[in-house]
Order: sequence, then structure tokens, then C-alpha cells
Amino acid sequence: MKLSKKTIIQLTILAVVAMIPLVLDNDYYLDMIINIFLWALLAGAWNLTAGYGGLLSLGHAAFLGIGAYTSTILFVKMGVSPWIGMLAGGLLASAVGVLLGYLTIRLKGPFFSLATLAFAEIMTIIAVNARGLTRGSEGISVPFKPSFANLVFQGKIEYFYIGLVLCLIPIFIAKYLEHSKIGYYLMAIREDEVAAKSLGVKSVRVKLIVTAVGTFLTAVGGTFYAQYIAFIDPYYIFSVGLSTQIALMAIIGGMGTPFGPVLGAILISFASSYLRSALGSAQAGVHMIVYGLLLVVIVILIPHGLISLTQRKWKKQAANKGGDKTIVKN
Amino acid sequence: MLLTQIIISGLLLGGIYVLLSIGLTLIFGVLKIVNFAHGSFLMIAMYGSYLLFKQWHIDPYLGIIIVAPGLFLIGIAVYVLVIKRVMVAPDVAQIFATVGLSTALENTALLVFHADYLSVRTTYADVVLTIGQIRISLALLIGFLVAIIITFGLFGFLKYTYMGKAIRASTQDELSSVLVGIHREKIYMVTFGIGLATLGIAGAILMPLYPVFPTVGSHFVLIAFVVVVLGGMGNMVGAMFGGLIIGLIESLSGFFISPSMQQLVYFVIFILILVLRPQGLMGFKLRRRVVAK
Repeated sequence: MKLSKKTIIQLTILAVVAMIPLVLDNDYYLDMIINIFLWALLAGAWNLTAGYGGLLSLGHAAFLGIGAYTSTILFVKMGVSPWIGMLAGGLLASAVGVLLGYLTIRLKGPFFSLATLAFAEIMTIIAVNARGLTRGSEGISVPFKPSFANLVFQGKIEYFYIGLVLCLIPIFIAKYLEHSKIGYYLMAIREDEVAAKSLGVKSVRVKLIVTAVGTFLTAVGGTFYAQYIAFIDPYYIFSVGLSTQIALMAIIGGMGTPFGPVLGAILISFASSYLRSALGSAQAGVHMIVYGLLLVVIVILIPHGLISLTQRKWKKQAANKGGDKTIVKN
Repeated sequence: MLLTQIIISGLLLGGIYVLLSIGLTLIFGVLKIVNFAHGSFLMIAMYGSYLLFKQWHIDPYLGIIIVAPGLFLIGIAVYVLVIKRVMVAPDVAQIFATVGLSTALENTALLVFHADYLSVRTTYADVVLTIGQIRISLALLIGFLVAIIITFGLFGFLKYTYMGKAIRASTQDELSSVLVGIHREKIYMVTFGIGLATLGIAGAILMPLYPVFPTVGSHFVLIAFVVVVLGGMGNMVGAMFGGLIIGLIESLSGFFISPSMQQLVYFVIFILILVLRPQGLMGFKLRRRVVAK
């Protein structure tokens, strides 16, 4: 097999990233990188359905919460290993996602977003009220019993490598979508659903398949979050704010590309820690003000995300659009 | 008797919900944009009304004459700076421009006012009228009456004034309205302004009843979405009935099921309506018009 120049560069970057813990023995930076992996996983999973499928969910936190709660409840109440819990949470999230998707996937643009938003609210209410299972608004702590089977570790290095592997999964799936039949179907539906359907694309089925994959990965991220942070709070884990932040990273980085969400996660995480240290913790919401405005500016000025600035393909497209405009004017 | 009490409380509450939703449905009807920042503008209105009371002891109801025009101007500014630029953009830009705006506004409020619950103490906030065995909160009754006046005022404006007719024409057939010389940009701008001005009034009406905090909008905006979808997006009469229905459902389910489950009930209704009747309960008229074309 002959590797292309691009693949070699990507593998080199991966190898360099994988060596970080060997040279960097600083918990603060390792924590930041683990967080980047988590965000990249979540934004990448959102990107599969939203970026490639055009399903703009504003309630992805619901699946994150399903994953976190499933593995944690199984672990705390029945002593089931979170590795199995991760799988169980993922499957449950997939099942719920497909069921919800089956009901709402025909809704257009903002209406689909509204339905997902309402779904996340429903999950919050259930989690807060099913006290017997979830301990309600108190939240659940994950007991600190370090072992591989418990997915709880003393140091950060294990989390680092697990996070790294997890955040690669959506990238591989996105790459696969770009060169496979189902990916072509999905993008055809995103661009023009009626045309795709009339050519025989089973639009609901294709969208549901990608929803199942995306929600599964989001729930896996939920389990990882619960094990790493060791605490779940229903008002945070199902919140619109969290859903927005997941989407924001993918959009700022570049939707519908394999690496856009990763770029978004890296930039936003670095920006966060910079803004926090520059402005002090007294100004709690400042970084969120910046992100909100950044999101507005990006969707208006660079709708394909920051990664598009590095791609010639997009520039060419932009040039073509300019050409169309002059024709209309004449 | 108890049931009558619950129904009356529900209807009064519903009146407030109508006021919260009417601007959202108006904006969607004309601009075809779902304003996800609707709740944040309500939050601004409530803080405005709070500040007027705190600084100059202006009663929230009197403060409407300042807050509503203020929100109108904010609406014009937001239209020119943000909304105008995403009018023909893909869904993702339309949705996330207002989502981003909402995030920025909520966190600005957090920075300026902190997360504290701020409320206005008025002399009438605790007054309860007793008619027979029915007890009615005065502030809620005033809110209901104002909601009715504003809703009918808006209907009158749309029906009888030149601007209102132009707005309706633009909703019904955009191309023809442009052809007969209606300035589309101006219509959009004014509509967005009016939509936000109704929130200025809603904020002032809510202030004696409810404390203000940075995320107050995200609670109310979900109710507004439920109301608007129930009534049919863009349908003003629908929003009026939708608001009253949701008010009733909230107070009935609070009594018969459990107060903690109230929201669950209307979110489930919300998803069911979106799935089963996306045109809303009153949506048949809109659909017939499309067929007639």
C-alpha cells in the first residue's frame, strides 16, 4: 500500500500527539488535552448527523446524559464495569435516538432543532424526578476505586490514551462517509432531499443509521465524561448550554468535514483557558460571551468554518458563487 | 368550585403566555426565521424594567412606555447587524446566529447582574381579589388584560394600518408584495422590532410576578415555542389559543398529576404536535391558501 503525502502528515501528527504524555508531565496541560479529546469526540459525533446529514440537533446533551447515567447507575448500583456500561449506554442512546429520529426526522431545519431541544428538556425533568434511580437534582458521584475494569485511574495518562482513541472514531467514520455509498446518500439528502428521494435514496433509513451511530458515540462520550469528572449533575449534563457548546465547536471548526470539529475543540479549549487566565475567574461568563459572538460572526462570514480557510476547494466554490451573482445582476 | 379556580388560574397564566409568544410567531410568519434568542430579549426587557424601578422608582407597568420602544430599537439593531445577513443563508446559519446571540446575551447579563434573582416589590404584587370563592391575583389579572389588549391591538394594527397591511401582504405572497412596491427590507426590520417590542411589554408584565435572572429567558422561551407550534408557526390567532391552552394544561396537570410533571406534559405535547400536526392546531387555513395558489 502506498501512502499519500496527506496520510503521512496525518499519521505523523497522530504519533506526535500520542507521545505528549511521555514528555509532558504536567497535570494541568494533560487535563486540558483530555478535555479537548472529549469535546472533539462530542463535536465529531454531532458533526456526523448535523454536518453530513443536515440534522441540526440542539439537544445532543440528552444522549451524553443517557450515556453518563446508564454507565454510572449500572456501576454504582450493580457494580457493572463502566466498560460494559459504556456499551449499554451507547446502545440505549442509539435505541432512543432512532425512536426519536423516527418521529422527528421528517421535520425541517429549525423544527427538528426545536424537537431535539424539547427532548433534552424532557430528559432533564425525568432525571430530576426519577430520584430512586438518579438521586434527582443532587446528581451522582462515581466512587474512586482505581482499576482498569472500573475505568477509574489514579493518574491522567490512561484517560489521555482512552480519550485519544475515542476522539479518532468520529474522524474515521467521517472519512468513511466521504467515500462510501451511505455517505453519498446522506450528503445528497442534505443538499436536496426531494431530488435524492426521487433517485431512490431511502432518506429516512439513511438518516436513522447515521443517527444511531452519532448518538452511540455521544453516549460513549457521556460515560467517559462521568468516569473522568466523577460526578454527574442533571441540570448540566442535559442542558441546552452544553448542547450549544458541542454544536458551536463543530460549526466554528467546520461542519461536514472530518477534522473541523477537532479544530473547533482545540481552538475553543485553548481560547477558554486563555480567556479564563487573562480575565480572572471573577468574570465567569466572559468566555461564553466571546463564543456566542464568535458563533454569530462565523455563521455569517465563514459559514463553512475555520477549516475552510485552509482548503482551496472551498475558495474555488466561493469564486463560482461570485460568478453566478454577476450573471443575475446583468 | 376548585375546578373553576384551576381553570381561571390557568387562563390567566395562559394570557401571559400569549404575550410571550405573539412576537415569536409574528417574526416567524413574516421573516420565516425562528428566533432562538427570543427568551434572551425577554430577559433584557425584564432587566430594563427592573432597573427603571430600582433607579428611578418607575412602576413596571408605567415603565412599558420606555421598555417597549427600547426593545423595538434593539430589534432594529439586531435585524440590521445579524438577522438581515442570514435571511437567505442555510438553516445552520439561521439557527445558530440566534443561538449564538442568545448565548452572548445571557452571559453578558451574568457578567453585569450576576446570577442573583432580582425582583421588584410592588404594592399590588400580593393583592388577591376574591369573587365568591374564586381568588385571583391582581398582578396576574392585569397581565391577562394587558395581554388581551396587546393581542387585539396587534390584530388591529395588522388589519387597518398601511404598515400592517404591508406586513400581511408580505407574509401572504412575498413576490407580489415586492412587485406592488412594498419595501421588503423595511417590513422585515419593522416586524422584527415589533416582535421584540411585545417582549418589552411581556417583560414589564412579568416583573411584578417573577424574579429576573440571566437564564430566565430560556425557561419562558420553551413555553413560547410550545405555544407557537401548537397554534401553528406564524399564526397569530393560533398563538392566542395556544397560549390559553398551555396555561390551562399547566394548571390542570399541576393539580391532577403533579407540579413537577407540568413541564413534562407540555413538552410531550410539543413533540407530539410537531410530529403529528406540524402545521399546528389552527394550521388548516394556511395550508388551504397554499393549495389555492
